[in-house]
Amino acid sequence: MAKPAVRLQVVEFGVFVGLALLVARAAHVQLIHGRRWAEEAQAQRTERVVLPARRGTLYDRHGTPLAVTQETYHVGIAPNELRDPAVDGAVISRRLGLTARTWQEALRRRYAYFAGPYSALEVQPLRSVRGVHLESVLNRFYPDPGVARATIGRLGDDGAGGSGLEKMLDSLLAGRAGAAVVLKDRAGREYESPARVIAPPVPGLDVVLTLDGELQEIAQRALDDALRRMDADGGDVVMLDPGTGEVLALASRTRGGSARPSAFTDTFEPGSIAKIFAAASLLALRRVSPADHVSGEGGTWRLAGRTITDDDPQPSLTLADAIRVSSNIGIAKFAARLEPEEQYAMLRDFGFGAPTGIEFPAEATGRLRPPSEWSRPSAASLSMGYELSVTPIQIATAYGALANDGLLLQPTLIREVRNVPGGVRYRHRPEPVRRVVSPAVAATLRTLLRGVVEHGTGAEAALTNFPVAAKTGTARRVVNGRYAAGEYTASFAALFPADKPQLVLVVKIDNPHKGSYFAAQTAAPVTRSMLEQTLAAGTVALDRARLSTAAPRAAAAPLEDGGGVVPYVVPWPYRPDSTGAALRLTVPDVTNLGMREAVRRLHRRGFRVALRGWGAAEHTWPAAGDSATVGSVVTLFAQAGGHVARATPRAPAPAPVRRRPRR
Amino acid sequence: MARGRHWVALWLVAFLVTTWIVYARQTAAIRTARALADLRARRANLDGHRADLERRIRTGESRAVLVPRAQQRGLHLPSDSEIVLIPAPGGSH
Repeated sequence: MAKPAVRLQVVEFGVFVGLALLVARAAHVQLIHGRRWAEEAQAQRTERVVLPARRGTLYDRHGTPLAVTQETYHVGIAPNELRDPAVDGAVISRRLGLTARTWQEALRRRYAYFAGPYSALEVQPLRSVRGVHLESVLNRFYPDPGVARATIGRLGDDGAGGSGLEKMLDSLLAGRAGAAVVLKDRAGREYESPARVIAPPVPGLDVVLTLDGELQEIAQRALDDALRRMDADGGDVVMLDPGTGEVLALASRTRGGSARPSAFTDTFEPGSIAKIFAAASLLALRRVSPADHVSGEGGTWRLAGRTITDDDPQPSLTLADAIRVSSNIGIAKFAARLEPEEQYAMLRDFGFGAPTGIEFPAEATGRLRPPSEWSRPSAASLSMGYELSVTPIQIATAYGALANDGLLLQPTLIREVRNVPGGVRYRHRPEPVRRVVSPAVAATLRTLLRGVVEHGTGAEAALTNFPVAAKTGTARRVVNGRYAAGEYTASFAALFPADKPQLVLVVKIDNPHKGSYFAAQTAAPVTRSMLEQTLAAGTVALDRARLSTAAPRAAAAPLEDGGGVVPYVVPWPYRPDSTGAALRLTVPDVTNLGMREAVRRLHRRGFRVALRGWGAAEHTWPAAGDSATVGSVVTLFAQAGGHVARATPRAPAPAPVRRRPRR
Repeated sequence: MARGRHWVALWLVAFLVTTWIVYARQTAAIRTARALADLRARRANLDGHRADLERRIRTGESRAVLVPRAQQRGLHLPSDSEIVLIPAPGGSH
């Protein structure tokens, strides 16, 4: 047995060797393989993930979301981790909408996966259920899928913009994906850690569109109703603010209910709604004076081997008459005073034959051939709106120039671009393209268009209290390169109100089968209905103060003060008896009554009311005690602002002239 | 000998303190990360709830819903002559 000191030395040596080995091993692990072990440990505790960027939201002009990105969930279930499959299964099945059979099948698998996607609301109760694994994923939602679907478009399978504005604005909306390292606990659950974000995701920009949600709904419903009523193949509606070029509503439908962006992509021969552009050339170049007449030729005229006819023959026509009654012969004869280059240049200046530049992919250019490719009747055809193909958005833009005192603006669908904190990165300003005609010529053209509604083919679009300027167009349709018998495109382009237009409205109905195919009976009433709904809609982007200063048609008594107005829709309980003949009732005496009460009494009697002045009622026209047809307009003059009116009261404007169908 | 034990004790205490600090920080980090995940889930839940409510409000406000109901009650869409813009004196509203 060795001495204790020796034994101690042996033990110390052994401990020293052991410690040396430990240090050597530690050095081996730390210094030689340290990097590898560190990476392995890192991989066990952390995972590098891509952080998807939130796609920007699309809003309408009032801030109503049209396309939003929300977090949704895929749900994975590990049956062997469930605490109580029966109880948990009931909760899971209810939240995910699973049938009993589906749930039983899921229980037999090692891991069941339900792609959903499920909303945060649906999966909220499942968060605390052991064995349920939620995988969040950003998804694109369209709160009201029917609204402007063709314009907004959809995402492709790769999550990028696939069509419509989603495609056009993809670089703005998409944002930039980030990267992060997430922590994992021993159960493999992932936890985000702000300190481990390698590159934060940059969310996409929000885009405020020019579309007005309420106008859009009005346009869509009116178009749907019209197509159903007329059994038409399809149609388009475009509403545009002529002062800014902002598109307020766009509706496109086909017979099957599908919504293609045909207002941008499909061209048609405009027919008579293009006559106003020939008139623009004639007036701008002073080739016609108001007194100039051409012969109506009894309704039939041969030109260059082609027969031109009028549905409403006139003995002779001024330019205003030719526009008012939509005379093919009249406009063709006047257009003969133009050189082909002049006619071509004016159509080109109005934007035909070129894309408008609106922010929409695959916008059609239309067709406008240069004079070198014209045949002998081309000049006459172009003046009547043939040998020319346009899109509805081109027509709206061109009529916008007439409304905007001759200045052509580029149409736009984008009002603002905002970043996530809400800062404005871009705000639309009206972008003039060119001056097409002088303000004086534009005003004359609007007067011609006003005549169409007041005494011409557009009478069905006339409103009682607000002047409308418009043009009808009924054009034959080309099918397989030839004009098809009995197939027509009915179109209507309107400026509202006629004096200082705030709205350009284009309605196109493709091939109506039921009833008349003339635009005067198809597209014009649809326009009137939309205008009435627009006036009644409180949130629509109309300047009602300016509307009130537009000269009312029903009575021309001027207001003393062009002050502000309070938009107020007076409920009118009267419902006409469709079976009765025109009933005449005595106009009640409303003198000295408050305005509201006076209006109410007149409405109760079944009259419509046009208001002049403010304050207590003074007198009416027709006067109290006179009889008037139920449903006719009674003008109510108030004590303030009504004295001048009393001196020169005018009879209400005559009812719109109902004429036989014309183009 | 006694001085050596002091050193051992000192190192042991230092080791334990360091270990405790690392453990505490990791625990706090995990707890914070878990709270963050919970908050995110709560926010997502509230976002979803808001979106659902907004969708229901919009559906309820839409013409497709309101117009038929209004017509059932004897109301109708007004024609333009039934819409009166009442001028206010002196531009006041």
